[in-house]
Order: sequence, then structure tokens, then C-alpha cells
Amino acid sequence: MNQERVFKVLLGPHMTEKAAVAAENNQYVFKVASDATKPEIKKAVEALFGKKVNSVQVLNMKGKTKRTARGVGRRAGYRKAYVTLAAGETIEDFSGAE
Amino acid sequence: MQASVATTSPIERTVTITVPASEVDQAVNARLLETAKTVRLNGFRKGHVPMAVVHQRYGKDVRNEIVGEIMRQHYVTAVTENELNPAGWPKIDATVDEAGKDLEFVATLEIYPEIDLKPIDGAEIERPQAEVNDADVEEMIETLRKQNATWTDVERVAADGDQVNLDFEGFLGEEAFEGGKAEGHELVLGSNSFIPGFEEQLVGAAAGDEKEIKVSFPADYQAEHLAGQEATFKVKVHAIKAQELPEVNAEFITQFGLEATDVESFKVEVKKNMQRELKNAIENRVKQQVLAELTKANDILVPQTLADQEIDGLKRQAAQQFGLGEDFDVSQLPAELFQDQAVQRVKTGLLLSEVVSSSEMDVSEDELKARVAEMAQQYQDPTQVTEYYTSNEQARNQLKSVLLEEKAVDKLLTQAQVKDVTMSYQEALQAAQQQEEAEEETAEAEGEQA
Repeated sequence: MNQERVFKVLLGPHMTEKAAVAAENNQYVFKVASDATKPEIKKAVEALFGKKVNSVQVLNMKGKTKRTARGVGRRAGYRKAYVTLAAGETIEDFSGAE
Repeated sequence: MQASVATTSPIERTVTITVPASEVDQAVNARLLETAKTVRLNGFRKGHVPMAVVHQRYGKDVRNEIVGEIMRQHYVTAVTENELNPAGWPKIDATVDEAGKDLEFVATLEIYPEIDLKPIDGAEIERPQAEVNDADVEEMIETLRKQNATWTDVERVAADGDQVNLDFEGFLGEEAFEGGKAEGHELVLGSNSFIPGFEEQLVGAAAGDEKEIKVSFPADYQAEHLAGQEATFKVKVHAIKAQELPEVNAEFITQFGLEATDVESFKVEVKKNMQRELKNAIENRVKQQVLAELTKANDILVPQTLADQEIDGLKRQAAQQFGLGEDFDVSQLPAELFQDQAVQRVKTGLLLSEVVSSSEMDVSEDELKARVAEMAQQYQDPTQVTEYYTSNEQARNQLKSVLLEEKAVDKLLTQAQVKDVTMSYQEALQAAQQQEEAEEETAEAEGEQA
């Protein structure tokens, strides 16, 4: 995977209550590019944070359908990744990621 | 908490204070817990945001806030513990401000100078002695008449002291110059409000006359392009008016709001007023001299913070005097202009309060009442004045400080040698005014030396 791709895979941290609970179990949640694959995400996290990644699980979040006077529309969805770090690894400052 | 005081100048102290890290962190955590309960963040329900997230988001701001509070608190305790007497608020700088480390900060403050009051023994004070005699009263009434003079049209040529209504237009050679034109201008001959020579040449003019007046502007005229130039004014005279002084009669007297309308009681009233004015002038004069001597004998350092406050006040006064209006930004005025005056004022104020406190003066209720009664007499409705002072705490305190100041001056007077100087009413009034001007000049001169 080339260097350029590394910066394009991770879109940002995903901070919710669920993600906060996950963080306690060494799992960190990211928004990722919709065409990103598990190996890509693993490499990107390892390269950007310098931490060893154990496993990655991904899912596609559908955008909400919204009705307006003009009919029915759909908001943009995104791809979400749960990244499990190797035992003993933590990400301290989990907010400023690209 | 550890505090150490260092003396950097006679009136400046730096206080270095260290606060243990645990104290700061505890305060920060307590505050964060509180914010966690109320904070709203996307992705979290209210009150369910984990501490780690709150810490990450708000840790820095909260810490800054807490550190500021702690610094202020500890500064105050340090000041009371070390018995410092600060003038104004200090400059506080944090030297070490990091999580997990002891907080260390330096407060630089100015303290009130310790005053070792030196008496003004042997200083010579001139006290003017003056009487209001009948001639003075006559003169005053004459001035009052002139102030109320009316102008009436007369059919004769203009003489000195007449008011002339005229149009004029000024020419330099062939060209009219700016600001040299007016219509229907009222000019009193002999009032010297115009260029020298202009008014004199109008003497002898009659209504309807058209004249050309040749004058030369004085070399120090304020408009530079006109200074020293020869100019011709085309003048058209519309009317000549003579001054008519009102008779001193009942009608004239009622203008001044007096009850009695006969001339004798008017004179008595005028005289009373003049005596009051004279008394004030003499008191002022003596006071100014005493204060001048006092500041001369006691040279103290003035905290700049106090001077700055005074400068602010002076600026506002100046702005008011120049009629710059309410929303004028006084910070535009240069502070250096007022520096010397402010320092002088603060100095006098500090010294006077020292005189008061060192001799443990106080003003009793009776004295206060007596003064209020005295002041009330000057007004048309004395009871209203008395009521104002009995009901208004602030006004009473102000009056009290005035009385204290007078007492202090009296006490200083006993130390000095008072020399009585006899002078006339006019001289006494003028002397008091001159003194004020002279003082301002010395203040300026001192500033230049510095």
C-alpha cells in the first residue's frame, strides 16, 4: 500500500458512548473511506499511530432517510471500523486523527 | 503554599508563591466532575459522557480557569500573611504551570509607600487679609449691570464701546480669503476681538455706510497663511447700537432671585456673597500653600497604579472640558500629558491621609451637622439640603472627608509660620487664582527636569 493511500483511509475518530465503552476494551472506532478494506485499515492505523493492531471489523452505516416537501432524500452514509489493538497497546490522544 | 517576598524597589514587591500540584489537580478534577454532569456532546447522552472524554475536551480550559482562581486566592492570603499594603491589583505571571507539577507564580505589586511624616516647621505661609469695602460692592454691581446690558439702535456715528452690526469680506490683494467673510456680525468696538486696527477704523461710521478697511494681520496670527499680511476688508455697516446699562431698581434686583427688592438690602446681599467668595479664596490660597509645603517637605514615591487611576480621572475631566462628548474614547489621550499632575495629586492625597491617620482625627456628628447647616444657608431651600445630607450616606461621607482634610490643613498650619498680608478684595481673589496657575507650571517644570 503506498504512502498516499495511508492518509486517505482513516477519516476521523468516531466518538460516541458505545465507542467510549469500546475504548476501555482496547477497541478504537474510526470513520473510514467507504472503499477501505480491513488490511488497509490495519496498515493505516499501524503507520499513523505506531501501534500494533490485532484485528479489524468493519461495517457500512446507512444514511438516514429524510422526507421533505420535495420528496424523500437520503443522507450520506459512512463506513465504520472497530480496530482492536494488540494487548497492552493504547491510543492516548484519540481525537485529532485525520 | 509557600510564599516569599522580595523587595525590588521601595514601593515594589515581588511575591513568589508555590502551590502543590495535588491541590491544583484536585480542584481541576472537582470542576471537571461538575462539567461532566451538564455537558452536551454529540454521540453522548447528557450526563453520560465518560470522564476520559471530558478530560480530553475540557481539561485545558478548566485548568486555566482553576489556576487563575488559585493564583488570585493565594495572592490574597500571601498579602495578608506578609502584611503588605498593596496599591491596586498586581501583575501575576505563572512561571511553572503544568499538570502534575507544583504551580509556581510571581506576583508583582506596588505597595503604599511608608510615610514618615516630616513636619513643615518654619515654612512661611502667606494668609491674605482683605475686607470687602463699599467701593468693591459698587464695582461688583457695576459688573452685574454690564452683564445685563441691553443694546439699542441709535442714530449717530459709532463710538468706542458701541456695538456695530456689519457685513464684511476680507481680500488679500484682489482675492477673497477663506474665513474672512461674515454677514450680520455683531462687533463691540473696543472689545479687541478683531485684528488690531479694525475696530478703531470703524469708529465714526454711521448706519448704512460702506467702508474699506486696511489692516495688517499681526505676525503671530494663528492662521499661518494670513500672519503678517496686508488685508483689505470691505465693510457694510447695518446698525449702530449703544450699550444701555440697566438701572439698579426693583426689576433689576428681582432677576437675582432675591426676596427684598430695595437697593440697600441688595447691596447687603451682594456684600455677603462677596465676603463668602473672599473667605473661600483665602482658605483656598492658604490650603494650596500648605499642601505645596507638605509635598516639598515629604518627597515620597508614588505607586504607578495609583497614578494611573488618577490619570484616568484627569483624562475624563479633560475630555469633558474640551466638550468631546460621552462616547469619546479617553484612552486616545496620551497618558504622559497627565502623568506629573496625577503624581502630584496622589502624593498630596497620600500625605494628607497620613496626617489624618497619624494624629487620629475624626469628625463628630455634631461637627458634621454644623457644616451641613452652614452650607444649607447658601441655598434657597435649606431644609432640602439638610435632608439630602441626612438621608444620603455617600454625600455625608464625602462631606466628612472634606472636613477631615480641613482639619489636617489646620493642624499643618499650626506647624507653619503664618504671615498675614493685607491686600484688597480684588488682589486676594487674583492671588488665589494665580497660585493655581503657578502650581501647574511648576508641575510642568518638574516634569521637564525628570
